Amino acid sequence: MEPVLLKNLNNPNAYKLSVYEAGGGYKALALALKKNPDELIQLMKDSGLRGRGGAGFPTGLKWSFVPKDFTGPKYLCCNADEGEPGTYKDRGIMDNDPHLLVEGMIIASYALGAVASYIYIRGEFAFGAKRLEAAIDEAYKKGYLGKNILGTGFSHDMYVHRGFGAYICGEETALLESIEGLRGQPRKKPPFPALAGLYAKPTVINNVETLACVPAIVEKGVAWFKSMGPEKSPGPKIFCVSGHVKKPGLFELPMGTPVRDIIFKHCGGMREGRKFKAVIPGGVSAPLLTEKDLDTPMDFDSLAAKGSMLGSGAVVVMDDSTCMVKASYIITRFFSHESCGKCTPCREGTIWLTKILKRLEHNEGTMADVEELERICNNIFGRTFCPLGDGAVMALRGFMKNFREEFVHHAEHKKCMVEGGYEL
Amino acid sequence: MITLKVNGKEVTVNDGTLILDAAKEAGVTIPTFCYQAKLSGLGSCRMCIIEIGGQKKLQPSCITPVIPGMEVFTHSPQVVSARAAMLEFLLSNHAFDCPVCDKAGECELQDMVFEHGPRKGSYSETKRVFHEKDYVLSPVIVKNSNRCVQCMRCVRACDEIVGRGVLGALGRGSGQEMTSFLKTQLDCDHCGMCIEVCPCGCFMRKPYRYTARPWDLKGVKSVCPYCATGCRITVEERAGTAVRSIAKEGAGFNDKLLCARGRFGFDFVNSTKRITTPLLKKNGIFEPITWEEAYSVMQRNIKTASGEKTGVIASARLTNEELYLLQKVARTTLKTANIDSASRWSEAASAAFMHAVEVSGKAVTAYGCMDQAAIFILGSQISDENPVTDYIVRIMSNARRKNIIIASPRGMKLDRSAMLTLRHAPARLGALILGVCAAIKEEGADKFAGIKGVDLLGGKTVDSLAKEAGVSSDDVKGAAKRLKASETIALMAGIDMMRNSDGINEMQLLKDMLKVLKKDVRVMPLLDRTNQRGAWDMGVHPAFGPGYSDVSSKGLGAEGLMKKAASEGLDMLYVVGEDVVASYPGAALVKEALKKIKFLVVQDVFMTETAKAADLVLPGAMFVEKNGTVTSQEGRVQRINMLRKPAGEAKDDLEIIAAIGGMAMGGAEFSSDADAVLSEIEKTVTRYSGAAAGVETTEGFLLGDSDAGQAKQASAPKMKETEIIDGAPLRPYHLVTGNHLYYSGTLTAHSKVIGSFISGPVVEMAASEAKKLGLNPGDEIEVTGAEGVKAVFSLRVNSGTRPDVVFVPENYADSPANMFFEAGIGAPRVSVAPRRK
Repeated sequence: MEPVLLKNLNNPNAYKLSVYEAGGGYKALALALKKNPDELIQLMKDSGLRGRGGAGFPTGLKWSFVPKDFTGPKYLCCNADEGEPGTYKDRGIMDNDPHLLVEGMIIASYALGAVASYIYIRGEFAFGAKRLEAAIDEAYKKGYLGKNILGTGFSHDMYVHRGFGAYICGEETALLESIEGLRGQPRKKPPFPALAGLYAKPTVINNVETLACVPAIVEKGVAWFKSMGPEKSPGPKIFCVSGHVKKPGLFELPMGTPVRDIIFKHCGGMREGRKFKAVIPGGVSAPLLTEKDLDTPMDFDSLAAKGSMLGSGAVVVMDDSTCMVKASYIITRFFSHESCGKCTPCREGTIWLTKILKRLEHNEGTMADVEELERICNNIFGRTFCPLGDGAVMALRGFMKNFREEFVHHAEHKKCMVEGGYEL
Repeated sequence: MITLKVNGKEVTVNDGTLILDAAKEAGVTIPTFCYQAKLSGLGSCRMCIIEIGGQKKLQPSCITPVIPGMEVFTHSPQVVSARAAMLEFLLSNHAFDCPVCDKAGECELQDMVFEHGPRKGSYSETKRVFHEKDYVLSPVIVKNSNRCVQCMRCVRACDEIVGRGVLGALGRGSGQEMTSFLKTQLDCDHCGMCIEVCPCGCFMRKPYRYTARPWDLKGVKSVCPYCATGCRITVEERAGTAVRSIAKEGAGFNDKLLCARGRFGFDFVNSTKRITTPLLKKNGIFEPITWEEAYSVMQRNIKTASGEKTGVIASARLTNEELYLLQKVARTTLKTANIDSASRWSEAASAAFMHAVEVSGKAVTAYGCMDQAAIFILGSQISDENPVTDYIVRIMSNARRKNIIIASPRGMKLDRSAMLTLRHAPARLGALILGVCAAIKEEGADKFAGIKGVDLLGGKTVDSLAKEAGVSSDDVKGAAKRLKASETIALMAGIDMMRNSDGINEMQLLKDMLKVLKKDVRVMPLLDRTNQRGAWDMGVHPAFGPGYSDVSSKGLGAEGLMKKAASEGLDMLYVVGEDVVASYPGAALVKEALKKIKFLVVQDVFMTETAKAADLVLPGAMFVEKNGTVTSQEGRVQRINMLRKPAGEAKDDLEIIAAIGGMAMGGAEFSSDADAVLSEIEKTVTRYSGAAAGVETTEGFLLGDSDAGQAKQASAPKMKETEIIDGAPLRPYHLVTGNHLYYSGTLTAHSKVIGSFISGPVVEMAASEAKKLGLNPGDEIEVTGAEGVKAVFSLRVNSGTRPDVVFVPENYADSPANMFFEAGIGAPRVSVAPRRK
């Protein structure tokens, strides 16, 4: 398929407004501004676009929750925190094609009636932040931002807000807290951000990739968008593949492309002489899939049916040199390091899991530890404040369900099952 | 109203009620850690999670509102096991140093585990250790983070209740530590709210540390002896030493709320500097004598003294019983109407104030004021003078956006909660209020034609009044607009109005005008002495008797007595618990006056400056050494109880007063039993009828309305301003005084803990002005007043204060603020300069 979101991935000058415009950029904005905001929201609903940040919530529906008769300011926030290990899809857009995001955000803001929008970008993405700031400056100069955009009377301001390196700030309410200058911890819901979000005003939070889909939908229409992928989650999707494949990288493919195709067709298969062992389909919170599930289409519903999730579309491939105890230890350690500390089960539970996994990995564990892991997982799951703790449990459960024998081997034989294990 | 089922039992509650509270209605207690009624909802500890019919995930009941038809299960197997699991998590990194933890025995974590399990834990990893040794956060706070359950109560309490926000969380996840930003000494209010809300031994009282186990303590319910907010406290002692004063959830209207003075200032009761025997001055030197001798000296002097030339000045910290009996003794045995309960303002000002704030009406509570739509706080430095009232205003304004207007020359903590602050010139509150009245009058002047006092306005305009008050006319109009837009209004009026005799008549006018506009107006006085309102109710005033009853002839108040003493001398002055020398506004006059009193008898617990000038000193009792009742500024009567016998030979004040009463020639008997006196009060002051039973309740006895005895309409005299004499050295600042957060007179001076918060007398000025003068906080500053009187203070700065104002806390024994004052002159002018080295 013709790439839409990554069309400028390999165009080194696409970050410049002139180049972006030459490629047809900001035409969608002009088109959108001629429409009525309600029409745009309906267009998004009709397109079937679902949030690309992980939860897959229908974007048009989310936009329609913002109260229309609200007289105060409304906001749009772009979640560019991209903290899920293995994910680098948004970076591809922001570094190389910043105007695509800016254009999408202006259209979305117009549809929502937002006075200002914020791009909450992961702190480490210094380059992307600079590119975005430069793009916003250019857009202001050209009249795409600021007062009376393109003479339509619509005014809008856009800001880049850099994060400070906390995974939790990718959670939408923690992101809002962080923009407000508060400690990055999730807020209680209700009230939902659509009613009381940033500065307690109606707010929509969308992922970078979601917003990047907007201009194309406006320009090319619903039918074009729905021509890709399954009926219930249509459109293009960026898959960022990492791990033990020949050719890892960013791939823009239709939603619903089977995992097997991604690994063996687009990534050139497994490393030389190695066999496929498992794949994490959507960032490390997503439970892994094994050989038997390789034909699962990569879309929200199909993966959910398999007990996993599409998440951010970060595909982490592991071959037979991977020790699953070590892999799960590293992933769980990540979650305990990133646990914000707000709620008890996540704060105390993830660190506990990490400590046990560390012992198992270093061949100091026992069978009781393996059972303890399962017990602690049960005590965390479904009781945390936000999905971070649940994510940690889902990931670990995925490993333990499919590769329990490796954990048992570590506990009983005090050594790893995987010979010549590859150092992660 | 919403109907739901809790464990099968149907309950109906208001919309928006939390499941936690709905369960309480159904008689079910759900355990909580991070939840505190007075704090914002957090929902983080997950102790309160419950099962909702039809929902897979357990939900936190402390932040989830009820919905119709909801079915809640608080003790289903899933919930019970989740609760034990949460406790297991909390214990996993807990220090388990209960044997040496101050909290052990009254620890919420212990109690919770005892009730909800787990019976055994399996955590065998290394524990998180924040630090090896406990560290000090303030003279009163010791910190041990290894015990923390991360409920954030301390952080929220500091921000949402106290308004300081000096605590926060450092680090993230399991390494998250609630502490100050640099883990060093805090520049805070030292109120210990963080300690009180802490469920385990993470924040501890430094002075109490390792002095007792909770089960060794013997305590009595009492009332804080400082300001008139009337906070319920329990004073606890071990082996004869008072070690702790605490406020408990559900023990009184203030629940856990206390300020630094209330929580740590009680230790004056342990002072060794007590007067323990009666003392008689012979040849200028005090000699201990027996009570018999003391009484006979007293009786001799009563016999020869003329009632006209006798006076009684009582502290407004005495109990209702003592005050009632004292005025009775004064009017019978001592045959005088010269009696007053304060020496800091004129009797005319206090009489006018009483009428304006409706002290003879029914009780108006702080929470009741916060139910109103607009709250106008005037004439009070509330954050310093009534810290817990300040907390209540802040808590309630956080919960519901309130239209709060504050008028004060000084900046204060509560400004952040206000919609409008009016920084008026000192002693110009009257002009400010008149300005507001004028702005209200602008539409429909004829409506207000009949009101008494409307002539105060004369032809003055909003602009001219605003200029006189030193504020912008927009602000004055803004205040008027906010008041007009609110159907219900509360006025909280402070003692600055009496100090400066300023704004009282004008507030009466404002009140009357608002009533014409059919507003529901509540008025509450903000007073700084525990029982000031009780003293007035008991008739300790020269112009009226108990229950504001008429007296045949009016006597002299403190101001009148001092002037009379200075001019023609007095036969006898009986001072009970008041330090006239340190607090009378006009130090020069009072010193002159006391010399001309033939027989000065002082009944007190400490050797105050006034006691030093006495001929006879009688040792009285402290608040923990007596039984009785006190009436808060709200009109809430509460009981104080005896924890121990008076020190040494000292006696219960009631007993001394009764004995003096019995010295009359007729040999009348006066009961010295507090309960008997209270029942007499119930009969005489009808608003107190039922008090004896009422004081036993948690809420105390709230005074009701009564037709009998109203505070009379009175007019407050206008004070003069310092004259500016050509050619004299320029004194550009106005001096204002009041209570400091840590300092309110003799009692605080004898509190070691309070003494550790600030060293020596302080002066406060606007930060901008200090900067302009090149002065830094902590610098030694010389303040010079009229006729060259000067004293040295340590500088503190306050960012919100008017630049032309300097503040010195009242009645410091070393550098008394009253040396700069002269009776009848408000906000005297002073100059400040760095002290010459």
